Amino acid sequence: MAIKLDYVARETAHSLRRNFTLSIASMVTVAVSLALVGSAFVVRAAVQHSTARWTGDVQFIVFMKPDASEAQIGAVRNALDPAKNNQVAKVVFFDKARAYKEFREVFRDDPVLLSTSRQSDMPTSFRVKPAIKNAELINQMGQQLKQAPGVYTVEFAYDTVKQIERVSKLVSTVILATALFLLAAAGLLILNSIRMAMFARRREIEVMKLVGATNWFIRVPFMFEGLIQGLVGALPASVAVWFLGTRINHSGGTRSSVAILQGLYVSSGEVWAVIFAMIVIGCLVGVIGSAVAVTRFLDV
Amino acid sequence: MIKLESVSKTYKGEVSALEDASADIAKGEFVFLVGPSGSGKSTLIRLLNKSETPTSGTIYVAGKDIGELSSWKVPFLRRNIGCVFQDFKLLNSRTVYENVAFALEVIGRPKHVIETQVPAILELVGLAKKTDNMPHELSGGEQQRVSIARAFVNRPLILLADEPTGNLDPNTSVGIMRLLDRINRTGTTVVMATHDRAIVDTMRRRVIELDHGRIIRDQARGVYE
Ligand SMILES: Nc1ncnc2c1ncn2[C@@H]1O[C@H](COP(=O)(O)OP(=O)(O)O)[C@@H](O)[C@H]1O
Ligand SMILES: [Mg+2]
Repeated sequence: MAIKLDYVARETAHSLRRNFTLSIASMVTVAVSLALVGSAFVVRAAVQHSTARWTGDVQFIVFMKPDASEAQIGAVRNALDPAKNNQVAKVVFFDKARAYKEFREVFRDDPVLLSTSRQSDMPTSFRVKPAIKNAELINQMGQQLKQAPGVYTVEFAYDTVKQIERVSKLVSTVILATALFLLAAAGLLILNSIRMAMFARRREIEVMKLVGATNWFIRVPFMFEGLIQGLVGALPASVAVWFLGTRINHSGGTRSSVAILQGLYVSSGEVWAVIFAMIVIGCLVGVIGSAVAVTRFLDV
Repeated sequence: MIKLESVSKTYKGEVSALEDASADIAKGEFVFLVGPSGSGKSTLIRLLNKSETPTSGTIYVAGKDIGELSSWKVPFLRRNIGCVFQDFKLLNSRTVYENVAFALEVIGRPKHVIETQVPAILELVGLAKKTDNMPHELSGGEQQRVSIARAFVNRPLILLADEPTGNLDPNTSVGIMRLLDRINRTGTTVVMATHDRAIVDTMRRRVIELDHGRIIRDQARGVYE
C-alpha cells in the first residue's frame, strides 16, 4: 500500500495546528498521568533498594567486626545454625566478597565512597530469619549475640522497615490508580480531538471515499496524529521522572554498610526502564484512542 | 456494465426509495434517470457505487455482484466509478490543480503520473488557464468542470452524475452536457440523474423514468415527457 510519508506528515502537522487547544489538552493529560505512573514506579524502586537487606523476613543482622577472627565467626555461625538452634529458621552468611558486592551495588552512584572503600574494610554479617514470631524473644536472641566476641553490632528490622514498605506500597498503589484514571481520560481526550480533526476534514474524507482511497489511507494520518499526541505528552513526563530520579539520588540519608535503612536511590538503568515504559504507554494510549475514533466515526 | 435485478431500497423509518427496479445498461451507454424530486434517482446513484446497500435485489457492476464485495474492496470498485454532484464537492482550500491531483494522490498514484494526467484532464475540460485558481474564483460551470475533471482523471469505466446541472443556468448547462457527451464518446458509461427537461429532450438518449421509487419507463432515444 502506497501511503506516502510526506503526505502523512503534512496532514498530521496541519491537523494538529488546527486542533491546537484540544491537542494541547490531550498532551498535558498524557503528560500528567504518565508523570504519576513513572514517579510511582521510581519511588517504589527507591524504597525497595532502601530496605533491600530486609527481604525474605530477615529480622536481624549480626555484623561482625572487620577484623573478627575465623574462630569468632565460627562461634556465631554455630550459635545461629538452624540445625542446633530451633529458634532460627534460616541464616545467610555474607562474607567480605559478598558484602563488597552488595556495597558496590548499593552505592554505585557514589564514586567517592566506592573509591575509598576496599573489600577488606567490609564487615561480614549473618542475616537471620527467626523461627519464632515473638518480638521480645527475637530481641533477646539478638541482644545475646551482641555480647559475643567479634560482633560489631546487631541491627533489628524494627517494624519501621515493614511499615515503610507498607506505606510505600499503599501510596504507589493509590498514585497508580489515579494515574490509570487520568490515562483513561487522556485516551478519551485524544479520541475526541481525533474526532474533531475528522470533523474538520469531513469534506476531504468524503472526497477520498468517493474517489476510492482505501480505509487505511484515510485512517493512518489520524492514527498518526493520536500517536504523536501520546508521544509528545510522554516527553515532558519523562523529563520529570528523570529529574525525580536524580533528586532521589541526592536526597542524602544514611550511607553506611551497617545501617538498617540505606539512603534512597534508584539506578539509572531503572529510571530509563521506567521512561521507556512511559513512552510506550503514551504511544499506546494515543494509538488506541485514535483507533477507536477512526473505527467508530469513520464509517468507510 | 451495470445490471439491476429487482433492486429495492427502504431507508430506516420505512421510507421506500426504490422498489423492484431492474435495468441493464451496456458499456458505453448514456442513460438519463428522470423523475420528480423524491422519486429515487439519487438513491439509485448511491447504490451503484455502494454508498448505500440495497434492502433486496442484486446489482452487478462490470459483471461483479457488488453486494458480495467485502468492504476493503469497495474503494477499488469506486476507482472505476467517477462521481459528479450538483454541489460539486470541491475542496475550497485547494487550487483547481490540487483538487484534481488530490483524487490521484489519495489512491497512491505516483507523482509523475499525477504531473502528466492532471494538466491533460484540465486541458480536456477547458480549464488549462485556471489551474492555479481557487474554487471560489470560478463560475459555477467552471467549478463543475473541475469536479468532472476530478471524477474522470482516473479514467473510470463509469461516470455517475447526480443533477450535475442542477445549480447551473441553461447556457452553462449546455457546456457541461457537451463535456459529458465527449466523455461518453471515449467509451465511458454515463448515468445522469436530472430533472432538466430541455437537456433530456435535446440529447435524445436512453431515458429511465422513476416515480415513487418505481421504474415506469425505460426508453431508448427518449424524451423527458
Ligand atoms: N438517507 C436517507 N434516509 C432516509 N430517507 C432518505 C434518505 N435519502 C433519501 N431518502 C428518501 O428516499 C426517497 C427518495 O429520495 P432520493 O433518492 O433522494 O430522490 P431524488 O434524488 O429523486 O430526489 C425520498 O422520499 C427521500 O426522502
Ligand atoms: Mg436527488
